Amino acid sequence: MAYERPIRRLRRGYAGLLRLYPKRYRERFGEPMEQTFNDLLRERVEKGTGIFGFALWMFVETFTGAMRENVRIIVQNKTLVRIALATAFILFLPLVAMQFTDEVAWDPADFVAAGILLFGAGLTYEFIAKKAGSFAYRAAVGVAVAAALLLVWMNLAVGIIGNAGNPANLMYVGVLTVGSIGAVVARFKPRGMARALVATALAQALVAVIATVNGSGSTIVVTGFFVALWLVSAWLFQKSAAETPRRV
Amino acid sequence: MVKRKTVAPLTPAVLHILLALSIKERHGYGIMKQVGSDSQGKVKMGPGTLYGSIRRMIDTGLIRQSDKSIDPEMDDERRVYYRITGLGQKALAAELQRYREVVAVARQKQISPGTFAYGL
Repeated sequence: MAYERPIRRLRRGYAGLLRLYPKRYRERFGEPMEQTFNDLLRERVEKGTGIFGFALWMFVETFTGAMRENVRIIVQNKTLVRIALATAFILFLPLVAMQFTDEVAWDPADFVAAGILLFGAGLTYEFIAKKAGSFAYRAAVGVAVAAALLLVWMNLAVGIIGNAGNPANLMYVGVLTVGSIGAVVARFKPRGMARALVATALAQALVAVIATVNGSGSTIVVTGFFVALWLVSAWLFQKSAAETPRRV
Repeated sequence: MVKRKTVAPLTPAVLHILLALSIKERHGYGIMKQVGSDSQGKVKMGPGTLYGSIRRMIDTGLIRQSDKSIDPEMDDERRVYYRITGLGQKALAAELQRYREVVAVARQKQISPGTFAYGL
């Protein structure tokens, strides 16, 4: 049958997509959802109508559903409130400092940007760290998210290469993209995450090499610091992978 | 925790799922087929929306999960079936009553589906 192989792939892809759902939800509805997806695909094949556009819609629809369930769990667990409170507390520090010194001069846009960054980092940590019970995995996520937050923050505040306005700093977007794509490809599994973090460290080092060769400025110390953070995170993911038995 | 919120209007997805389950218990794919048929293809929901709604409806006590069994009209795979509860029947009846009242008001005002066909 001409559709057999692509259907197998779609089914595997859909089963993988269901991993984005919270664990408890997946245990309740993962199997029926997979069955329903398979039934719908079978119906399309029997009717002789196209399956790829349809499958794409189902993937998008299910992805949206998974995000909705994750947000619901976060809100229900009061985690959102905790992250918001922590964000407010951190933002409160520069606000207080501004009353006593001119060294700290944040405008409203700075507070908004910092708020979005901190809140986003907290949410990202919760979303990914929730996937595993091991301390090593959660620590690895924590280090990676903190490194990403610092990288963005430093770039927005002063710029790592030259000053904040130096376009060479845009290369760091590539560093974060490598990490993000790697995490998605690895489906947040520890072994794959370790590789993604090593790739991120290499990308970070590559930016420093390019900046030095171009004469944009030397960033050895800062780069060394970030490479170390990415590698520590990779090591923790590897440690978590060693604790998790491989699936046969 | 089961919350009792039967008075609140139902979302279109929940209304259609309750309608689909009002006659007999069905599995997920069966619900989708019935909703498609009841709405003449106007209501389309994927597994994400369907099972998100099913989760909420189980949590609020509108439907419940039955044991797994084989659908004789399909393959020999065992499927989870869902059935409407007494609370679900009451919520469906209340929602349909709301619709009847809205239609009655529209009739009173002599508003028909073609009234605004040419715009204002």
